[in-house]
Amino acid sequence: MEFLLGGSWPVPFGEFSLKLDPLSFVFLIAITILVLCSGVYGLGYMRPYQGKKPLGFHVFFYLIFALALVLIVTANNVILFLGAWEAMTLSTFFLIIFNDEKSAVRKAGFIYLIASHCATFFLFLMFFLMAHASGSMDFNIMARTNFSPLFAGAVFLLALAGFGVKAGFIPVHIWLPYAHPVAPSHISALLSGISIKMGIYGICRVLWIMKVLPAWCGYVLLMIGAISGLMGVLYALGQHELKKLLAYHSVENIGIIALGLGVGVLGRSYQIPFLAVLGFGGGLLHVLNHSLFKGLLFLGAGSVIQKTHSGEMDHLGGLAKTLPVTSVLFMVGALSICGLPLFNGFISEFIIYFGLFQGLFGLPVHGVIASSIGILSLALMGALALACFSKVYGTVFLGKPREGLRGASHAHLKIGEATSARTPEEQGRCLEETSKWMLLPMMLLAGLCIWIGLVPRSVTGLVFLGGAYLTHVDLSTIPIEQVLTPLTMVIRMAFLFLSLILGLIAVRRLLLGAAPMPIRETWSCGFAQVSSRFQYTSASFARLIVNLMKRTLLFRRHGGEVSGAFPEKTHLASSVHDASEELVFAPGLAFLNDLSKKLGHSRIRHIQLYLMYILLFLVFLLVWKLK
Amino acid sequence: MSSVLSMAFPILSHWLIVCFLSPLFLGVIAKVKAFFSGKVGPSVFQPYFDLAKLFRKKCVYSSTVTWIFRAAPVVILAVMLVLALLVPFGRFKAPVQFSGDILLAVYLLALGRFFMILAALDTGSSFEGMGASREAYFSCLSELAMFMNFITLALLAKSISLSQMVGAHIPMTWGGLEPALLLVVASFFIVLLAENCRIPVDDPETHLELTMIHEVMILDHSGVDLAYMLYAAAMKLFIFSGLLVSIIIPVRTGDHWTDMAIFFGAMLGLAVLIGIVESTMARLRLNRVRLLLLISFALAFFGLIVTLWRA
Repeated sequence: MEFLLGGSWPVPFGEFSLKLDPLSFVFLIAITILVLCSGVYGLGYMRPYQGKKPLGFHVFFYLIFALALVLIVTANNVILFLGAWEAMTLSTFFLIIFNDEKSAVRKAGFIYLIASHCATFFLFLMFFLMAHASGSMDFNIMARTNFSPLFAGAVFLLALAGFGVKAGFIPVHIWLPYAHPVAPSHISALLSGISIKMGIYGICRVLWIMKVLPAWCGYVLLMIGAISGLMGVLYALGQHELKKLLAYHSVENIGIIALGLGVGVLGRSYQIPFLAVLGFGGGLLHVLNHSLFKGLLFLGAGSVIQKTHSGEMDHLGGLAKTLPVTSVLFMVGALSICGLPLFNGFISEFIIYFGLFQGLFGLPVHGVIASSIGILSLALMGALALACFSKVYGTVFLGKPREGLRGASHAHLKIGEATSARTPEEQGRCLEETSKWMLLPMMLLAGLCIWIGLVPRSVTGLVFLGGAYLTHVDLSTIPIEQVLTPLTMVIRMAFLFLSLILGLIAVRRLLLGAAPMPIRETWSCGFAQVSSRFQYTSASFARLIVNLMKRTLLFRRHGGEVSGAFPEKTHLASSVHDASEELVFAPGLAFLNDLSKKLGHSRIRHIQLYLMYILLFLVFLLVWKLK
Repeated sequence: MSSVLSMAFPILSHWLIVCFLSPLFLGVIAKVKAFFSGKVGPSVFQPYFDLAKLFRKKCVYSSTVTWIFRAAPVVILAVMLVLALLVPFGRFKAPVQFSGDILLAVYLLALGRFFMILAALDTGSSFEGMGASREAYFSCLSELAMFMNFITLALLAKSISLSQMVGAHIPMTWGGLEPALLLVVASFFIVLLAENCRIPVDDPETHLELTMIHEVMILDHSGVDLAYMLYAAAMKLFIFSGLLVSIIIPVRTGDHWTDMAIFFGAMLGLAVLIGIVESTMARLRLNRVRLLLLISFALAFFGLIVTLWRA
């Protein structure tokens, strides 16, 4: 199941060798769909910038980015891979800083660039070690080499460090919540849907090359998956900005994928190929699914932001009435990401759960404990994601429009600036549905989410082939029907569920008759002057959960105290801060900065001293050599 | 034709049981509570009359709501009807059994919850927002405890099908008052109370909005929509109780009528037990509910430890 395409390349050690195998095929499908959809969407999204900004640059880097992605997943040579990797990193940087006149955008771009390059250091080291041990830069030859388990473990750790930054594992995810919100929305969709998956691809490729990995690697992946998933979704719950929230959800989903890969590695180390194929296959399917629904959600968020000029959820509300199609499409994305039945997220989570439960029965005791932790964290992630997306959907699309939305037709509004309340008709005029060309790619993505959710067999064949490829076994020897038969039952129940819904709607029609129902106001305990500010905001909705976890989430609130008999107007702000940024990276970087400053002070300012140092070093070398 | 009938018969009988008996379950609980407060109380068939009345009424909608508000009751009732097919009711084996059906069950419940929360937020009322927020919060904890129980049961039964995990399929019996099973039952009972918004987690009787979870979320539903919601809530309680009874009593006599009598007797007993709990306990303060759910999780966790230690 491999197609090789080779050509000479006048680069030292490099060979223009491309390979198409089941692993790269899964990623290639995701790339093709999302690059195409985001591109079409981008045409509409970028229209307001026409004539104001050089769009040619943007398109140029978009195409370079697409080409680099294809080369990354098909490269069969280390040099080619690293070249494409670098091309992807740089083109992404230029795509992110499209609005580079804002300092926040430039800052986010630099954080991304620095994080990526720090990670690339580990990649160089890792590939150098692998090439040194196998004597070749060719992936296929590397895969035929037998590495010692200790060496494989070391390479695995380097791969986690190098690819993990791109993938966004906690605690090295800090570039994600910066870069995603500032990039144009179709770029955020690509960043989240594809770019971070390249980190997963890299890890998969290393797992494939390292045929024999010690079992602790699997446990490490499982733990990273559980922590990234749980912390990702908890941080997401604390966010107020739509795209930042979605960025944290990417961390969560990367965690789910890592759980799948961890099960796969465990299955491989304990020689249970069925378990390995389930884990790898589930992980790969989640890669594909996540790129579909997260792409959809980011594009939907883009439409909201384009229409309202605000990504602050607590300024929005009631958009389901003004953006009806977008709201339905966003709903499909939300249902998919929560892993609910009928949608694609459920299929991949089902397979990963199935693998984890198989791990309960097949693995030794510490494997059972790890599987239990995996199951529990996946369950908690599901419940928290549901809380998070009901919060997003409820505050952005449902309820009444909040204050901030009133002046929405004027760009750059501030809260409280709007003076007069508008009637719904006026609002309808200033907020029109997204243009057709922007809806079309979203419809395609939503359609694919439902398609995979209802006809999973159309993709399970491919992902299990990928899983078997990563396990180095033949798929026909695996009793894969053991998971496909339950899936078929799930789909049957899904169709039964759909027909029950239709039946219940019919009963409801029958009971209610055709006459229109009376429309009144929402019950508010008899209080007449109801303002849209009474509604639960995203912050108040998530408060209970955030409060429970306030130690880990670094929850902070300022102001809001009411004092005296006639309290004055007060202001309350609450926010959640990233622990790994504030407790690990900020002090760490400050320490490094300090250190280099101190070294700078002790720097010698006389050239004679430098010459002496050189002399001393030469003497040292001579002594060392002569010894 | 006969194969279709043999497929359809268990499904229909399951639906009949759930549809006809679930309001009775609520009626029994109400009767027990009335007895404890020294009242005669409404007849045990009162929930049927309430539902019948609501089914005849038209709905009133808020000007704020969208299609989600109307879709939620339908979705939730459909979820319960599908869920009913996955749970064994004593002698009536679950018509649909497959490996991994617990995942479908839990995630279907989540789907219903998602629509319930959205319908509440759809009204734009702060009361309903409050209820929605609490529901999202408590369900995180109760789902965790539920999965912990499932892990223990899966390990005991070496299967991940709901029908295999409960009842006679578990090789361990109550012979020596099996500690793992005892912990699971205790933990699952708390989950049952929490998931179905009973005292001590939520009070289904009170209509003081600030203290409620489930009742406040359906505050703006009326007529047929409200009937769907209440019917679904009754079914949910019945299904959860059926599951708990199946864990407690593995039916093995083999005689059709005896088994049925045992099952429905046990269901009656559970309804009385819930009624006693509700009459003798006060609703917990809201910030204490999480402790109750964490106790449930801890019990399930000890259940797993005992199981692992035995194995």
